Amino acid sequence: MSIRDALRGAPTIFAMGGGGFTMEPDNPALDDFVLSLVDQPEPRILFLPTASGDPTAQITAFYGRFARRASATHLSLFRRHGSARSLADIVLEQDVVYVGGGSMHNLLAIWRAHELDDLLAEAWRRGIVLAGLSAGAMCWFAGGVTRSGGPLEVIEGLGLLPGSFSVHADGEPERLPVWLTAVRSGELPGGWAADDGVGLLFRGTRMVRVVTSRPGTAALRVDAIGEELVRHRIEPELLGADPSRPPTPAALAVPDEIRELRELRAAMRRG
Amino acid sequence: MVTGRPPQIVAFGGGGFSMEAGNPLLDDYVLSLAGAERPKVCFVPTASGDADHYVVRFYRTFSTACETSHVSLFRRDRGDGAVEGDLEAHLLTRDVIYVGGGSVVSLLGAWRAHGLDRVLKQAWRRGVILCGLSAGSLCWFQEAVTAFHGAPTVVRGLGLLPHSNCVHYDGEPERREEYRRFVGDGVTPGYAADDGAALHFVGRDLRRVVSSRPHARAFRVEPRGDEVVEQPLAVSYLGDVERDLHAVA
Repeated sequence: MSIRDALRGAPTIFAMGGGGFTMEPDNPALDDFVLSLVDQPEPRILFLPTASGDPTAQITAFYGRFARRASATHLSLFRRHGSARSLADIVLEQDVVYVGGGSMHNLLAIWRAHELDDLLAEAWRRGIVLAGLSAGAMCWFAGGVTRSGGPLEVIEGLGLLPGSFSVHADGEPERLPVWLTAVRSGELPGGWAADDGVGLLFRGTRMVRVVTSRPGTAALRVDAIGEELVRHRIEPELLGADPSRPPTPAALAVPDEIRELRELRAAMRRG
Repeated sequence: MVTGRPPQIVAFGGGGFSMEAGNPLLDDYVLSLAGAERPKVCFVPTASGDADHYVVRFYRTFSTACETSHVSLFRRDRGDGAVEGDLEAHLLTRDVIYVGGGSVVSLLGAWRAHGLDRVLKQAWRRGVILCGLSAGSLCWFQEAVTAFHGAPTVVRGLGLLPHSNCVHYDGEPERREEYRRFVGDGVTPGYAADDGAALHFVGRDLRRVVSSRPHARAFRVEPRGDEVVEQPLAVSYLGDVERDLHAVA
């Protein structure tokens, strides 16, 4: 076991209703929070843009956000990267796997075709942090509500987390009723809905913390008791609001040589 | 709709508008098979994740001479020309379905999730001409050699053609070795094609090999006794040989 493996904690998932570098280009609070979950001197973060078909703009935005904060790479399942390394080698050496939004239907189908679903479950069990927004957040749960094919529909996820998850609760309010109906009928198990900017942190399968990058947002816990829905509003902690708790301990503690290495790497990437 | 055409597939080892800018020979060959004044051509860029620049290049190449459209499985509500509504009805009424390159594993995963594998089989049986390069070639075969992530490996394709396939045969020497080894180990015998060479199948049988480059090659790869034999196939160069010779001289 490497030192990196020894430093890993319990299985961790950070599920965002929306937000992070693809949706909040000027607000790094959620992405900094993701890095703060890792106790490594030079965190390794891998971006999976599969759900949107690996668009260049999304990949560029990822490096823009993370290249100076971490050892950042992305994994394309559509373009050859020329590396002879296996997917297992690439994924299991990471500290964080960050999954972008898009079509959850395509995301899961393509992961399964590459057997990446099993690999990500293994990464999770080993304590590699799984983070994501929208489709990249719902995928970890038993299910959610997607608009991959146009109209909103219930979709099954990988099931690492036992509840269901509904995203963009404030940004796309038409999702919520579809989700609530599915929970009431038992088509989906009870679970959480999150506004854009809100992230739920799970250790193991237990939800331990709710944070947000935007004031005035919330998460919702919903369970079906018989045919009745029991709703419970959760107030998130606003990130960056408490100066005694800096959101980016990892980034602040970077030694000079590592910072230089990152800048060099970023410059090489820019060519 | 009955096209009156037999099932046909034109599988490029590499080439066409996305790899050979300014050389329309392979694409024109496919269009000539349609026998229509203004063929209806639909582009399927799934293997590239519906890359925008790829879709744009398709329209640039084909929209003057053809009735063009494309299928987007990632961005179904965006972009002029993207098929909306009944994808099946649209695909079954095309003359040509053109599949772009990228990852064949991602391609097949996404197609199966959307039921496109079934629709494309049906289109083929009805005489819609299927073509493509790289992943867009591999996908039609029983088995395909891909080296997208890590070492070369064999994946199952849609199986319209009961052979195996290896593309970019001239591009990477290790692929050639691996393909022969795979066939020796029990992978279905099949066909390998260089960049610029295209295998034209009518029904399940190879009818002709054409090329957009004078020296592009294609091979039948099969076991014979204890060996795996690479049998060169006759290739018809689609360009003007005389003119090319003068150009070289």
